[in-house]
Amino acid sequence: MQNGFVHGSVWGVVICTVVMTTTAFALWFERKFAGRMQSRIGPNIVGPLGLLQPFSDVLKLLQKEDIVPEKADRTLFNIAPPLGAICALGAAAVIPFSPAVLAADLDVGVLYILAIGALSVMPVFIAGWASNNKFALLGGMRAIAQSVSYEVPLVLAAMVPVIMAGSMKVSDIVNYQGTHHWFVTWPFFLGVPALLLFMLAMLAESNRIPFDIPEAESELVAGVTTEYTGMKFGMFYMAEYVHTLVASAIAAALFFGGWDGPFAPGLHWMVAKTLGIFVFVYWMRWSLLRFRSDQLMKLCWKWLVPGGVALVAATGVWVNFVK
Amino acid sequence: MTTTHVLTGSGGRVDPHVVIEKYDPEAELMLLHFGPQHPSTHGVFRMDLYLDGEIIVKAVPHCGYLHRAVEKLCEQLAYVQITPIVDKNDYVSPMTNEQSLVHVFETALKLEVPRRARWMRSLFAELQRIASHLLWLGTFGMDLGGALGGGTSLFFYCFRERESILDLFEEVTGARFHYNTHTIGGNRHDIPAGFDKKVHAALDVIAARISEAEAMSLENQIFLDRTVGVGVLDGALALELGITGPNLRACGVDHDLRRDAPFHAYDEVKVNVQTATGGDCLARAKVRIAELKESVRLAKAFVDGLPEGGINGGKPVKLPVMTKIPFGQTYAAIETARGELGGWLVADGTQFPYRFKIRPPSLHALSALPYILPGTTVSDAVAILGSLDPIMGEVDR
Amino acid sequence: MGYLLDSIRSMGTTLRNFFRPPTTAQFPKVIRPRAERLRSSFALLHEENGDEACIGCLQCEKICPSQVISIDGPDKRESPITGKKRGYAKDFTLDLSACIFCELCVQVCPTDAIVMTKEQELPAFAREDLVLTMAKLYANEKGKHRAWSDATKLNEMQTPPKPPKPAAPAAPATPAAPATPAAPQTPAAPQTPAAPQTPAPSASPSASASPGAETAKTPEEPGKP
Repeated sequence: MQNGFVHGSVWGVVICTVVMTTTAFALWFERKFAGRMQSRIGPNIVGPLGLLQPFSDVLKLLQKEDIVPEKADRTLFNIAPPLGAICALGAAAVIPFSPAVLAADLDVGVLYILAIGALSVMPVFIAGWASNNKFALLGGMRAIAQSVSYEVPLVLAAMVPVIMAGSMKVSDIVNYQGTHHWFVTWPFFLGVPALLLFMLAMLAESNRIPFDIPEAESELVAGVTTEYTGMKFGMFYMAEYVHTLVASAIAAALFFGGWDGPFAPGLHWMVAKTLGIFVFVYWMRWSLLRFRSDQLMKLCWKWLVPGGVALVAATGVWVNFVK
Repeated sequence: MTTTHVLTGSGGRVDPHVVIEKYDPEAELMLLHFGPQHPSTHGVFRMDLYLDGEIIVKAVPHCGYLHRAVEKLCEQLAYVQITPIVDKNDYVSPMTNEQSLVHVFETALKLEVPRRARWMRSLFAELQRIASHLLWLGTFGMDLGGALGGGTSLFFYCFRERESILDLFEEVTGARFHYNTHTIGGNRHDIPAGFDKKVHAALDVIAARISEAEAMSLENQIFLDRTVGVGVLDGALALELGITGPNLRACGVDHDLRRDAPFHAYDEVKVNVQTATGGDCLARAKVRIAELKESVRLAKAFVDGLPEGGINGGKPVKLPVMTKIPFGQTYAAIETARGELGGWLVADGTQFPYRFKIRPPSLHALSALPYILPGTTVSDAVAILGSLDPIMGEVDR
Repeated sequence: MGYLLDSIRSMGTTLRNFFRPPTTAQFPKVIRPRAERLRSSFALLHEENGDEACIGCLQCEKICPSQVISIDGPDKRESPITGKKRGYAKDFTLDLSACIFCELCVQVCPTDAIVMTKEQELPAFAREDLVLTMAKLYANEKGKHRAWSDATKLNEMQTPPKPPKPAAPAAPATPAAPATPAAPQTPAAPQTPAAPQTPAPSASPSASASPGAETAKTPEEPGKP
């Protein structure tokens, strides 16, 4: 894969567009899915089966008044939403959607993904601080604590496929799984716990239930996005979905073999796996209650981090002595 | 002010009567208005929380945002006209509102209510209790789990079951909510034919599906984490503050007006009073769910044993001046889903009350907040407020 | 771990509900069946002989707790149908937007003139449309489904059943009686209630037994109506 500027930017634009469009339909799908789980029908008025609902939501957000609180820090307030969107989309650059579709095949792909994930803490905190709103500030504080803490299990879990495949290039990892087994199937005693850890950490990074305390509607009105209106709120909202979608794609690439499949490997497998994980994340969202801040932190530092360290050590042993 | 108390998750209280200056920079406490506009204050209700980070140091509740001058309005309406007005106090269980009102007037008039009416009232009270507890469970799930998350699923399940009870009420009275089916001396609407089968059918479905709601709440580890040891209310403090109902029974105090001071038909059917120990949010949740199951049994017992006869011991309402209560004071109370709902009537011989005061159980429940909130976090405050089950309509009237 | 198992159980519950049919009834394509006794809007009735049933006695106006009824009356004039002098309501307005649907006006009507209707939906485009004028109320008589209750039925339901002994004097609780006798009574004499209440001789635990109760009442003679 060439790492040329033109190649990267063309594919980058394509991937961005595809990811955002998929987000719109993922939004629709989630609402129908959640509706059925709650004994009701989801959107079904706008467009056939309600398919145009996300677009009508976007149009609605676009035409809303853009209010900036008087004492808010204007520059920071305005920077935060697009920064959030950028950080969410940025990780999609190194994911191999198929052997041919890859925007930037970095040698340190996994590290880049983790770094972008860590960067996505910034817009949340900037929004919390710049809003000049106590609810937003509380949300921002919680978000920092949570995101920074859950970086550690995320890194540890992501190390398992890296160690097994021997490279940080995401395409190398996917190729390795193509020639050997998917990491969740073999060695499952390393792959499954690593996947579990990765999923939990990914949920916490994207502020999904059960870890959505920074934007807990019942406590903090809307958390960090309390003061945002119109398209800025739309950008935060969309960034959250994109983040989840991209993280599902990363999990599919790292643990489920990416575009590999029992027959006819290609883009469709990647899409199927991504959407499968995405559905699972949303299923979890609509079924579970949320953790309190300190319980969340306790879970991370008392259970996930030691578990992650043990897992990485076991992976090292496995790779060195057993293979 | 100096913060010399220990700020841990349990204990470390500030005397609620100590006044903290509005914003004292030296104290480094943040004043957060858990304002009247908030998704989970169960109505319009404000709490001033003085926070040290996430821990609440002092909480000052303010109610009154929903004050509608109901008691003053009652002074200008004749006794026979007041029933549909107090329907709207505890807007989640209107049947018991009406029942407490007519119970007070009947006690003042020493009017005997026919047996069938008493059994019907008990049946309605139990069905209303089930509906109210289902609503409480749904909103508690939303408080704990988010308006966009698992709590909403629980909310929808509870409301789906509640709809069947509201349909039952519509069969009898013609209105799904705010029925005006009680009158001084008895009831206004009799039960149609086939009602007992419908009650049994609806309650069977509820009894079967309550296990689903429990799987998502009481038996869920995340729920237990959020509610165990949170907001511990001491039994003695509860008694001192006048807290009644499930909030009191969750502290281990075995007190239920249905058994201890029977009204309606509770002297003829035994009520198994449900209590729990601990006084924390989980105990309150357990008591309410257990009461829900007990009410299913009671409602079936009441509808099966409904005696024949008339439903009204007084005269049907014809004119505002027809009921005049002689000079005197009366207090009478019934046990609603929230506790002891009482009415204190000062009558002066005319057809208007001189003063009618409603004793709402939620007000007393909210008065515990300054005592049990300090030392907990903001997330806990939401859980505690939800577990006390206040309804602002009856707090503010 | 407890969290994992409980999470799986919660997710199983939501999955089970996923496969249940949704309980949504898509209004207005699907009108959910309501109870027989549903009460929503109002109608004024004519009697069988075509005369207006409302005699303008103002009882419903007095009993309404929200004071939404305003009646211009009673207007004593000759009936075009029977030729006898009786009361009419010159104008009758009911503000539906302020009504609390307590059904008290239906209960107190001595001639079963005002009844409730069984409409599913009561929306309007303007506040004025929600004020039921006399014309609209009489139009509802034909245009809308009648609700179950009227004064007669309600009073019948609330009156204790007569005891089986035949010694009760000729005071049948025939509810159809009150139409004519209530007519000549002026509203200023509220002491006598309308006929359907059985008088004291029956064993009903009615209020007339208690001393301090309705002081304005005297135990009525049976043959009053």
